[in-house]
Amino acid sequence: MEDLAIYVLIFSLFSIGVYCTTKKNFIKILLGIEIVLNSGNLAFIYFSSAHSGLIDPLGQSLVFMSIILGGSVVAVGLSMAVNAYKHYKTLDVRKLRRLKW
Amino acid sequence: MVNMYFFFMFSPFIVAIAGLLGERLRVRKLREITAVLTSLFSLTSIYMIYLAMESNPNKILIAYLHALAPLGAVFEIDRLSIFMAFSAVLLGFFTTLYSYSYMEHDTRLTEYYTLLSAMIVGMVGVAFSGDFFTLFIFWELMGLTSYVLVAFRKDRPEPIEAGLKYFVMGALGSTIIFFGMAFLYGMAGTVNFAQISTVIRGQPINVWLILVFTTFLVGFGIKTAIVPLHTWLPDAHPEAPSPISAMLSGMLIETGLYALTRVLFITFEPSVFQSTIAILSALTMTFANILAILQNDIKRMLAYSSISQIGYMLMGLSSGTVYGILGMLLHVFNHSLMKGLAFLSSGSIVHMTGTRDINRLKGVGRMMPYTTLSLFIAFLGLGGVPSTNGFVSKFILFGSSAEVGNWWLLILGVLNSAFSMGYYLRYMKTLISEPSDEVKNVKEAPKLMVLISLIMAALIILLGIWPEPVLINAERASNALINGLKIYVQEVFS
Repeated sequence: MEDLAIYVLIFSLFSIGVYCTTKKNFIKILLGIEIVLNSGNLAFIYFSSAHSGLIDPLGQSLVFMSIILGGSVVAVGLSMAVNAYKHYKTLDVRKLRRLKW
Repeated sequence: MVNMYFFFMFSPFIVAIAGLLGERLRVRKLREITAVLTSLFSLTSIYMIYLAMESNPNKILIAYLHALAPLGAVFEIDRLSIFMAFSAVLLGFFTTLYSYSYMEHDTRLTEYYTLLSAMIVGMVGVAFSGDFFTLFIFWELMGLTSYVLVAFRKDRPEPIEAGLKYFVMGALGSTIIFFGMAFLYGMAGTVNFAQISTVIRGQPINVWLILVFTTFLVGFGIKTAIVPLHTWLPDAHPEAPSPISAMLSGMLIETGLYALTRVLFITFEPSVFQSTIAILSALTMTFANILAILQNDIKRMLAYSSISQIGYMLMGLSSGTVYGILGMLLHVFNHSLMKGLAFLSSGSIVHMTGTRDINRLKGVGRMMPYTTLSLFIAFLGLGGVPSTNGFVSKFILFGSSAEVGNWWLLILGVLNSAFSMGYYLRYMKTLISEPSDEVKNVKEAPKLMVLISLIMAALIILLGIWPEPVLINAERASNALINGLKIYVQEVFS
């Protein structure tokens, strides 16, 4: 029963994240990407303890690394947001259409 | 001893320190020279690793820190990895050398060279990695640096917009890969490639394996620009500085293709994914070729042409035989030269004229003969004209499709290849027609840029007439992927 709950949690986080990336505001898209990454993190944590009695350190160390990478992704994304705001005076990605879409 | 060869992985740090020192001590050109030297050092290191593996064709080189293969994060280098890594550092060397002249008048060059060498290291790391942990870290290194490099000229709005679009799609793609990795880890209990292949490969297909397959296809497919997921590419490639376009188009999307191939072959039997990849291949090349003919922007046309070349490469992957993968790898190497050259020499034209619109570039070919000659050779290679190396690899790719009886894909591929000649010829005709007044005063590009273009053009012709050196290595690489899986697993566990 607990297993089912965690699966539901993982997949709902994933769906929420993907839904967020369809939004207009760039900050919301960035949050959506982070939520998808966190659903992966949660899955890793769950599977690292699901197999046998002991907890596998491999999954946990991978999650640490992925949190760090997620942080750097956010840093790059926010710097892009700052630069986009300087040029377009908005963070609405639908208004950024100088190039052909 | 072997770990000595991996010092080139620190080249971004060396370039960054040299750049800082050069700025503080006011030593001119210190960072440029350091960047060129470190990329030359990477090339030598990869060649040394290649020589270390030369003695035994089935040898797998394993490099690790602290923990051995199944537990720790490792590099597992087989023939396929070394082939991809060599293509990456070769193109990286050419582009770094080209940047020396092309980026002269830009500012923030320390960041530029640091990011460029970090991107090359990321590609080599993806090719070398022996488990998903290492693959994911180097994948993100490659991705993050490329997002920043696309948006490098941040004083104009277009590069920022292209970079933002690329960032959203690329970052979402790598998180989706991570999600799929989590489920693969849940099924196999490990992230090591060899262990995963012993546990998962050959199992009957269930819903979890379909989930993993879909996430990997979408995640790696975004970087590879397979057609429904390609939308970032035609914006990002033209807006990046030309050496970066060459690097992205020549090697980055192919690194995505390599990762897709490696992961699919580790996890599934070829019969599982063949038909899906064949349909995607047909879609990719047809769609991209039709859109390429509509473009008036020379770099945008080349970007669409890259997508169609990915379609031809997927044709080799869809056949799933040694011959097909041989064609794919050969085309990866050849395409890295051809498309690299096409972007570099069109970059020279853009550098000298300041426009990318083909209607305003009428007759530039007469003003810049050497650059245009090399651009023509690249175009002919991309179209698959005999005596260029593009012909050899396309011939093998189409042959591999016939080998497995995929006649519809073969016919579609040949038609597409002929069709693609249409837009190359249109550009060639415009470039050498009667010059307009606007371009009368254009001069030939700086000597270094012309020299690199001519060297790459000579390599294209040389490898078209005498393809054996690359062909032998590509064959060994594809053998290592398809027949060498058992050896791969044994070497890791011994």
